[in-house]
Amino acid sequence: MKIDIDSTLRCDVLIIGAGGAALRCAAEIFEKRPDTSIISITKVTHPQKSHTSTAQGGLAAVDPKDPLDATIYHMFDTWKGSDCTADQNVVKTICESAWEQILWLENRGMHFSRNRDGRLSKRTFGGHTRNFGESSIYRAVFEADRTGKGIMDTSWGETLKKGIRFLNQTIGIELLIENKQCHGVIALKQKEGAFIKILSKATVIATGGSGQVYRVTTNCRQNTGDGLALVLQSGLPVMDPEAVQFHPTGIVGPGILASETLRSVGGILRNRDLEPFMIEYAPKMKELAPRDLVARAIESEIRGGRGIVNPDHDIAHVWIDLTHLPDEVHEKQIPEVSSFFKRYVNLDTKTDLCPVRPSNHYHMGGIPTNAWGEVEDKNREIIGGLYGAGECAAASFHGFNRLGTNSILELITMGSLVGNKVVDYLKTMPSAHHDLIPQSYQPRFHNYLNSSGKESIGTLRSRLRTVMTEQVSVFRTEDSISKAIDTIEDINDRALHTSITSSHLAMNQELVQRWELENLLLVAKSICYAARYRKESRGAHFRDDFSVRLDEFNHHSLVGIDDNGDCHLSRREIDMSLFEAGGEHSEKFDFIERSY
Amino acid sequence: MSKLYDLTLRIQRTNSEDGKPRYQTYQLQAGPIMRFVDLLRMINDDQDPSLTWNSSCEHGQCGTCSMRINGRPMLACELLVENGVEMFNTTTFTLEPLQVATVVRDLVVDSDEAYERVNRVKPYIIDPLPPGKDGEEHQINPDQLELYVDATRCINCFCCASACISSHRTFLGPNAMLATIVRVLDSREQEKKERLKTIYSDQGVYRCHTSKACSHVCPKEIDVAHFIALAKKGFALE
Repeated sequence: MKIDIDSTLRCDVLIIGAGGAALRCAAEIFEKRPDTSIISITKVTHPQKSHTSTAQGGLAAVDPKDPLDATIYHMFDTWKGSDCTADQNVVKTICESAWEQILWLENRGMHFSRNRDGRLSKRTFGGHTRNFGESSIYRAVFEADRTGKGIMDTSWGETLKKGIRFLNQTIGIELLIENKQCHGVIALKQKEGAFIKILSKATVIATGGSGQVYRVTTNCRQNTGDGLALVLQSGLPVMDPEAVQFHPTGIVGPGILASETLRSVGGILRNRDLEPFMIEYAPKMKELAPRDLVARAIESEIRGGRGIVNPDHDIAHVWIDLTHLPDEVHEKQIPEVSSFFKRYVNLDTKTDLCPVRPSNHYHMGGIPTNAWGEVEDKNREIIGGLYGAGECAAASFHGFNRLGTNSILELITMGSLVGNKVVDYLKTMPSAHHDLIPQSYQPRFHNYLNSSGKESIGTLRSRLRTVMTEQVSVFRTEDSISKAIDTIEDINDRALHTSITSSHLAMNQELVQRWELENLLLVAKSICYAARYRKESRGAHFRDDFSVRLDEFNHHSLVGIDDNGDCHLSRREIDMSLFEAGGEHSEKFDFIERSY
Repeated sequence: MSKLYDLTLRIQRTNSEDGKPRYQTYQLQAGPIMRFVDLLRMINDDQDPSLTWNSSCEHGQCGTCSMRINGRPMLACELLVENGVEMFNTTTFTLEPLQVATVVRDLVVDSDEAYERVNRVKPYIIDPLPPGKDGEEHQINPDQLELYVDATRCINCFCCASACISSHRTFLGPNAMLATIVRVLDSREQEKKERLKTIYSDQGVYRCHTSKACSHVCPKEIDVAHFIALAKKGFALE
């Protein structure tokens, strides 16, 4: 078994990941500096298989031609939605350049849906308003129900055109950092089973989300928090890991979103006894109450023993009842979601009750960066040549709660901002690469391959995901989080006694799953410690035992894990530059109440 | 709802050591709405962690888990047990990799090799039409978009290429054809000549024997054959 370095590659820019943020970044670099050598590595079989491709709804951006909308409204909605924990310099930068990003995609061939004039069609989305919450606004452009796919196809095409080098099915396993400077990464090419060293002048982490930490998630199977684990293993912190968004109505089984539309067209949530329970939790708004409230109501019903369990999935859920709605609603207003129920659980929304439950959806927290995507340590000192963009990073645009359609806006904008920063950075770099000796991957992979025991990687993974869903999701308490931490420690111990069937490295799926298990454990641990420390409720982080937002927690959490596995917490201040600038509307950017 | 099916999965396995395919049989019980990706995961967790396959989104948007199930190319994430039993009228299923590239291991094929044929048709705008006014998008009439929007839904799962009766050694493939046909019809692409040259090359649409297998198996229900026929007719729109 050969776990030594097989070969060394050199490039100007290495991007770990090949989703929307990664490839928008690469495209920007090529446009500004065409002769740059860029390598993009991705765990999936091809960039088009990235999780970005599954984004449905749309991209929020204020159209300068729209007389009703204004960028400051978008900034306000994002700030309020974040429960006052986004960084205002980031909010300003992203909202101000949003339309430019839409044009970038449109001019390069994205197939946006069009109105009768041939212009980009727009949709409304929850939390997006005009005049500081006065009324909803048409702000999201979209490509039917496959907006993310449009972004992915376009950015993949552009980078292919400009000569990027893709290493698909390749994972980054150790960052090469010395004296606060990143020089590249150690990677494993799965197909060949070869460990390689990639030396780069700039390295961008864009590995996507971490949804697989939870059993019930809308995230793709590949989202195992790999980028977060990579920085934690390098002694760097992650920021706001406890800020995890749960969508109230995921379809039980495949983990697909059943969009809010189901409730807005008149769908009724029912428990095991077919009682319409929302009236108990939100007497006026009922099914139309905000996402987090609906999620907590459903979770309360399930906890009260009023959920339903289908033995196939063994996951408790409630029903959404659409059977009373006229055929026309099913066919014209909710055709996509109806087809999901048909295809994935064999149910007809016209005649059957359909199973839904709160599902992990998005990680607001991530690798801490400044407003230009430069990765920072816990003292806010920049790690030279290391950048983060997309869901794995936190600048932070979303704070503790993300608005619908803001995620794919963030990933393309941060991708392009990082691209520009990298171009500037390369001007200052010497032409030679700095070679480093790897420190950690060999003992780790040696242990993965050589440990023997009866523990099953799959079973341990399931146990972790189940405890996180049961104890650290929609509701959290001191007790539940501590219970999860104990389980994580137990799984950590047991993971030392897993064995891998084949010692051949080529396309060794078990080896990759063992590595993923370690990543999931690290991310879960950081979520738990930050959630236990934050004795308040803020955005998507809801503590039963501390149910209101407290001023003393008006800051970001930073969590690092040392070599002994101990967690260390510290804080980062929230950027309040819009508020501090004073002048018209600045009062809207104070720590305001998040009520709708 | 609680019915359990006794299933037999006969799975083609190829290891990287000798590269020779063989079949291994697994028996398992599963409920009606379990999907074939769930079955493969159950085998990994309970019987054989070394059985190698791949998936990503697991809801029909990425095309990673495409394979042949009883000979038919399809997405394993989209086939429910009860639908599979009904469709094939059996509880025994043979799972094999797609026939579009070299097998890397078990159900995983070399997607880089398969994608190389898509890359050759240049799946991007070669020569973009400059936008009309500064800061404005192009205007595209929705009726014009309607002519090709279905072809843009392709996820490159390669089911069509596997079902196609023309060999992938001589034909770039139905999905690669879609990628270039879209840009012939998209008004933002100015480089039509090169595109037509590829479409009518000796690896282009005339390799198609009009079996329409592509349309028949497409998980996204794209009428692929319609677009290929359109190209064969010289884009009668022109």
